Amino acid sequence: MTPTKLTLRDVVKTFELPTIDRAESAEKAVLKMVDENCGALLVPRKSKNDAYGIVTKKDILAKVVAQGKDVSKVKVEDIMSRPLVILTNLSLDIRWVAKSMANSGVSTIAVFDRGDFYGYATESCIIEGVYNAMRRARLEEGVDFVSC
Amino acid sequence: MEAMELRDIISGSVPVKVRSDATVADALVAMMENKTDYVLVDRTGPDDAYGIITRWDIVEKAIAEGEDIKKTPAVDVARRPLVTTNNMDLDIRWVAKKMADEGVSKLAVFDRENFLGFVSDMDILKAVVGRHKKGAGQ
Repeated sequence: MTPTKLTLRDVVKTFELPTIDRAESAEKAVLKMVDENCGALLVPRKSKNDAYGIVTKKDILAKVVAQGKDVSKVKVEDIMSRPLVILTNLSLDIRWVAKSMANSGVSTIAVFDRGDFYGYATESCIIEGVYNAMRRARLEEGVDFVSC
Repeated sequence: MEAMELRDIISGSVPVKVRSDATVADALVAMMENKTDYVLVDRTGPDDAYGIITRWDIVEKAIAEGEDIKKTPAVDVARRPLVTTNNMDLDIRWVAKKMADEGVSKLAVFDRENFLGFVSDMDILKAVVGRHKKGAGQ
C-alpha cells in the first residue's frame, strides 16, 4: 500500500489543453506541441452529439512517422483518439487513477466534477503529487530532504 | 518527407543514473530533482544489463498496482535490457517504427561500442517538422 493517502483531487491540474482543429495536419499538431511544450492536444467536437478527441505525440509517432507517411498530409482526425478517458470521482485514490491510465493505455485523463469540466490528470501530475507528498512527509519528520 | 537519419537528431545529453539497489521512490526523486522524464538503473557488473525507468513505468507498474514505492526495488519496474539501436544511418521512419513496436519512448543509441545517448519520441517529432537541433552525431 502507498503510505501517503493521495486522491485525484490532490493531483488533478486545472489547466486547459491547447486545442487543434480536426482538419489540421499532423505537422501543425507537432509544431503546437513543441511550442506549447506539451504532449497532447484537445480536438474540439463539432456538435453536442459529437465526442471530444485527443491527439498525443504517441499517436503521431506510431500512426504517421513509423508508417512512413507525410506529416504535412495526414489529418488530425485520422489519428486522434476519442472519446476521452474520463474520471468523475475526485476522491478516488491515485492508485486507481494510475490503474485507469494503465488499463486504457493513455497518459491524460479528463476530470469532471459533477458534470462540469474540472481539469486533467496526467502521469506527470501523479509523479509530482507523489514526490511532493514524500517531501512533505520528510519535512514534517524534521529531516532535511536529501536525494539518493 | 526528406530522408533524415538518426545521426541528425541524436542528442548527447548524459542520462541521470540511480544505483542498482535503488527503490522506485529514489528513481522518482532523482527524476524530479533533475527535471527529466527518465532515469537509468545502473548495472551490478559487466554481465548485467542497464535498466530504464520512465514516468509511465512508475505510474503503471508501481502506483497502479498499489505497491509501496519506498520498498519496491527500481529494477522491478524498469525496462531491462534497454532497447538499443546502433545504425546511425537509419532513416528516422524506422527509428519511430522501432519505438512504436517496442512500446517505448526512448532508444539508447550506440555507435559501435560507444554509447552516444538517448533519442526520444519528442526528438523525432521535432525532426519531422524541422525543429531539431544539430545533434552530437554529426
